[in-house]
Amino acid sequence: MENSKDRLILKILPYLGILAVLVIWELIVDLGIVPNTLLASPIQVVKLFFIKLNTADPDGAVLAVHIATSLKEALLGYSLALIIGIPLGLAMGWFVIVEGLARPIFEMIRPIPPVAWIPLAIFWFGIGLTGKAFIIWASGVVPCVINSFVGVRMTNPTFIRMARTYGASDWEIFKQICIPSALPMVFGGLQVALAASWTALVAAELIAADTGLGFLITMGRRLLMPDMIVLGMLMVGLTGVVIGVIVDKVEKRLVAGVRR
Amino acid sequence: MISANREAKVTVTNLTKSFGDLLVLNDVNFNVGDGEFLCIVGPTGCGKTTFLNLLSKLMPPSKGNICINGEIADPKKHNISFVFQEPSCLPWRTVKENIAYGMEVKKLPQQEIEERLEKTMKLVGLTDCANLYPNQISSSMEQRVAIARAFAAKPDLLLMDEPYGQLDVKLRYYLEDELIRIWQEFKTTVIFVTHNIEEAVYLAERVLILSNKPTTIKAELKVDLPRPRNFLDPEFVEIRKKVTELIRWW
Ligand SMILES: Nc1ncnc2c1ncn2[C@@H]1O[C@H](COP(=O)(O)OP(=O)(O)OP(=O)(O)O)[C@@H](O)[C@H]1O
Ligand SMILES: [Mg+2]
Repeated sequence: MENSKDRLILKILPYLGILAVLVIWELIVDLGIVPNTLLASPIQVVKLFFIKLNTADPDGAVLAVHIATSLKEALLGYSLALIIGIPLGLAMGWFVIVEGLARPIFEMIRPIPPVAWIPLAIFWFGIGLTGKAFIIWASGVVPCVINSFVGVRMTNPTFIRMARTYGASDWEIFKQICIPSALPMVFGGLQVALAASWTALVAAELIAADTGLGFLITMGRRLLMPDMIVLGMLMVGLTGVVIGVIVDKVEKRLVAGVRR
Repeated sequence: MISANREAKVTVTNLTKSFGDLLVLNDVNFNVGDGEFLCIVGPTGCGKTTFLNLLSKLMPPSKGNICINGEIADPKKHNISFVFQEPSCLPWRTVKENIAYGMEVKKLPQQEIEERLEKTMKLVGLTDCANLYPNQISSSMEQRVAIARAFAAKPDLLLMDEPYGQLDVKLRYYLEDELIRIWQEFKTTVIFVTHNIEEAVYLAERVLILSNKPTTIKAELKVDLPRPRNFLDPEFVEIRKKVTELIRWW
């Protein structure tokens, strides 16, 4: 009895927390403690959410279009980051030549925050899909390379020696031993890369875009609509959580496939 | 140095290895006969693992040669298997796939692989866990997988580095008998390294005794006892004492 009651309380607590924040937030705005021009109340945000579902004004696109734009950019940049970063990191971990060639360049680029690429990216690609995909790629590729590299480097040396005594070539050892052994680490990098990509995306859209969730936030500022700013922020968070969950599911599948 | 009726399969001449200033192996010479079971005993840290690493070409020697069938040893050309002291089963492969690994590297035809798999797994008693992963079996089972993998590749030379070092005594006796059975079945040439004298005398046809660093072969002893051997047999005890003496002496 004690126990089930405790568990019920634990289940309810998070909702209570959220509810409390919402109520306090609503009160702060309603009672005028913070002026409405600076902060929108939750009810206003929800109202705007339903309005934006099918109204393009005043920022030029309905909510679904903003989300679609952001998703398209994110997925394009993210998948390019995986396609280039994972093989590169794996190869850097095993082949001395690849490491020798790529490591210095990588170490030079690595400390540059992805948002620092934004001006150049606009300069090169404009404010469309390509420019943003580039920025997201630049931020997602770093964790992909690092995780794959470390994954290969952590390969149990006994496995490598075992393969070598059977006469396996360097390439066979890479394929049969290093890659499978690095996979859990590589999959672990998927989440990290996603978080980095999503952050960079919003930053890029804040600065240069004509649709997208980051753009929605900027428009809220320009049009002096705090409810639109908050709506944009919430949508960024929610969409991020949803893709995070999807990637997590995929990752679990893949890791289970590798069976460790 | 080897039984008169057998040809030398492996010839080691002037084998020398130093790490910087540290001379580990000093001018080691010996032969191994075709199908012979040779045990090498030596004090800890005398360079036994280094010695096997040289034989398997995992490390280049500072001087000297290892020849298999008269040719300089080369893992790409010769068929060498190595059972390591540490667990070496690939966690992403099942027991069966692990045993097949060596044969896959050798690019044997699939049918041959299947036949050898079946035979080896039966010999080692792993048929029931063919589809389990290494994390689902005990560590002694894992070591048997490694041994099965080594034999299944039908090596010209099988190197074993204290494969039973971490197992308890009872299990070791059992696995030693099993090892002898597989060896008799496959007629493989085996070099078995251990610091356990009793184990060496139980298994070997011939025992090489290594000195302390810089290591050379200090003595060699034939063990001409019938199998299965008995630890309590006075002759066995006699030989064991002799080996112990030889090791202590230097
Ligand atoms: N890669 C290396 N670099 C430098 N010194 C080494 C290297 N490998 C081994 N040694 C040295 O060579 C000596 C022999 O080492 P080795 O591991 O071959 O001994 P061992 O007889 O196998 O010991 P154990 O009984 O503990 O397994 C040791 O003194 C060790 O410090
Ligand atoms: Mg050793």
